[in-house]
Amino acid sequence: MKLIYPYRHYVISFLLLLLITIVSQLFIIHLGLINIALIHLIPVIVIALRGNMGLTMIVTAISVIMFDLLYVPPLHSFDVHDLSYVWSFVIFFLVGYTISAQAKRIQGNAIKEIFLNTLSHDLKTPLSSILGNASLLLKEQINDPVTRRNVLIQINDSSQRMNRLIANLLDSARLQDNRSALRMEWCDFEDLVGVALQEFRYNPKQPQIDIHIDPELCLFWGDCALLVRLVVNLIDNALKYTDEGKQIALSITTDSKTIKLLCFNESHPIKKADLKNMFDRFYRIDHSGDIGGSGIGLSICRDIVSAHNGMIEAYNVPNGVCFEINFPVTKSPSSGLKELL
Amino acid sequence: MRVQELILIIEDDEAISKMVSLSLNQQGFKTLIATDIKSAMRVIHANSPDLIILDLGLPDGDGKGLIKTIRSEISTPIIVVSARNDEKEVIASLDAGADDYVIKPFSIDELLARVRSAQRRFLGLQPAVKVIICHEISLDIEGHLAWMRESVLKLTPTEFNLLKYFILHRNQVLPYARILKEIWGVGYQNEMQYLRTYVNSLRKKIESDTARPTYIQTELGIGYRFTCDSSNSL
Repeated sequence: MKLIYPYRHYVISFLLLLLITIVSQLFIIHLGLINIALIHLIPVIVIALRGNMGLTMIVTAISVIMFDLLYVPPLHSFDVHDLSYVWSFVIFFLVGYTISAQAKRIQGNAIKEIFLNTLSHDLKTPLSSILGNASLLLKEQINDPVTRRNVLIQINDSSQRMNRLIANLLDSARLQDNRSALRMEWCDFEDLVGVALQEFRYNPKQPQIDIHIDPELCLFWGDCALLVRLVVNLIDNALKYTDEGKQIALSITTDSKTIKLLCFNESHPIKKADLKNMFDRFYRIDHSGDIGGSGIGLSICRDIVSAHNGMIEAYNVPNGVCFEINFPVTKSPSSGLKELL
Repeated sequence: MRVQELILIIEDDEAISKMVSLSLNQQGFKTLIATDIKSAMRVIHANSPDLIILDLGLPDGDGKGLIKTIRSEISTPIIVVSARNDEKEVIASLDAGADDYVIKPFSIDELLARVRSAQRRFLGLQPAVKVIICHEISLDIEGHLAWMRESVLKLTPTEFNLLKYFILHRNQVLPYARILKEIWGVGYQNEMQYLRTYVNSLRKKIESDTARPTYIQTELGIGYRFTCDSSNSL
């Protein structure tokens, strides 16, 4: 099933064409050429609604060829005696093109709309916290130092959240825009984890993150800034869904062929469907409405991992959730670097 | 120190220049604000500031060009303010003669730490001594020895040179290429793998938690900074 899935549109349209051919062949006398031509438009329309122009053109071509071969006289040849049929063929392509282009536009708008809705929500939430708390400080004379400090911590937290979201968006744009925009260099994962942890230096839960890094870990050929973003998003996610005092662990291990990142956090198990879908853009497990964040973090993780030809998955373990990422090691730094003590 | 030193802020965004100016005033500095290169040069000539904070994204031209112009005339410390995703610009500015940088959005603490550190270096307040002490690390340059608390650190020659270079340039941002050139020599500026490997092994010997380093800080995409000031550490 997994193998066929990416090609499902081809499969559907070929099955449709097969069905149409069977029906048309059976009832050829009753239907007449015009109706048969119209029936042959069905797979074109079905596939054009997907908004994929290349696919539409392929299916249209096949549909036209079948129609020409099997029904247009002289039968079983590509010759066309009556020129008006050439017009029919042109119309086939025109219909395919028009519907495809429209579908594409509508899809684009839908994505933009989701994008804008999520973005405005995720930017507005921390912004309203900043504005609210700032105006509180401006208006009220808060004398209690603890309250004052709490208000300021809220402002700081929300600003950090906004900053992270913007960083994510910029990296995401860079990834979507052009895969060749990756800035490949030698990265030290231990170093990257250190930079990622710096982002959470004011988070009271940060010191409880248990870090284990294989001392044998070699340098990895990748885009260091994006890999930092990956680790930041994983930690951010773990911190969001873990209560105080519960365990969060990040481990990086290696054998000669792969580098494995495991990010564990103690929490309730996640539903099977959610485990898969949470890497989709703007997906958020619905019972988490009160937790600030966007459905963009994990989808960017997936994009970053796949840009490095790796695999990411999430699964439940006895007392929590684990994210596992495997990067293939394709390039090793030149040996002979180490000097003897 | 508190003789009302003058800091020139070259920044076109009023919200930022106001905030920076206000916080610097509170720390006892006098400030002047210039919103473009022309007026900045005028202030530099007329008021000879003690330190310059320069935003790279100015409306009327190239910040790097301005750094070069300033450097050809005076050696006043320059701290560059840059937008995120602009590491190349930062490195180019450092190469052009800027002393340090902060990336937007920055906290005022961060900027003040940079200002203080740049000032100290400029005024030569780091006395020439035989043994330099950084928290728990002591470095004896002439004796070619380094200690961690009471025990001697076992370092390879390259590790020692790296540590020495870091400590001699403590609290300064050190671009990768500059470190490589200093430690490995001309022609090694792009051999990032050497630097990454040796920083990793040096950290294992001096940091108590290598994932949360307190001495060697990574400045992503730019270089390293050896922190030797308790107010800067994690």
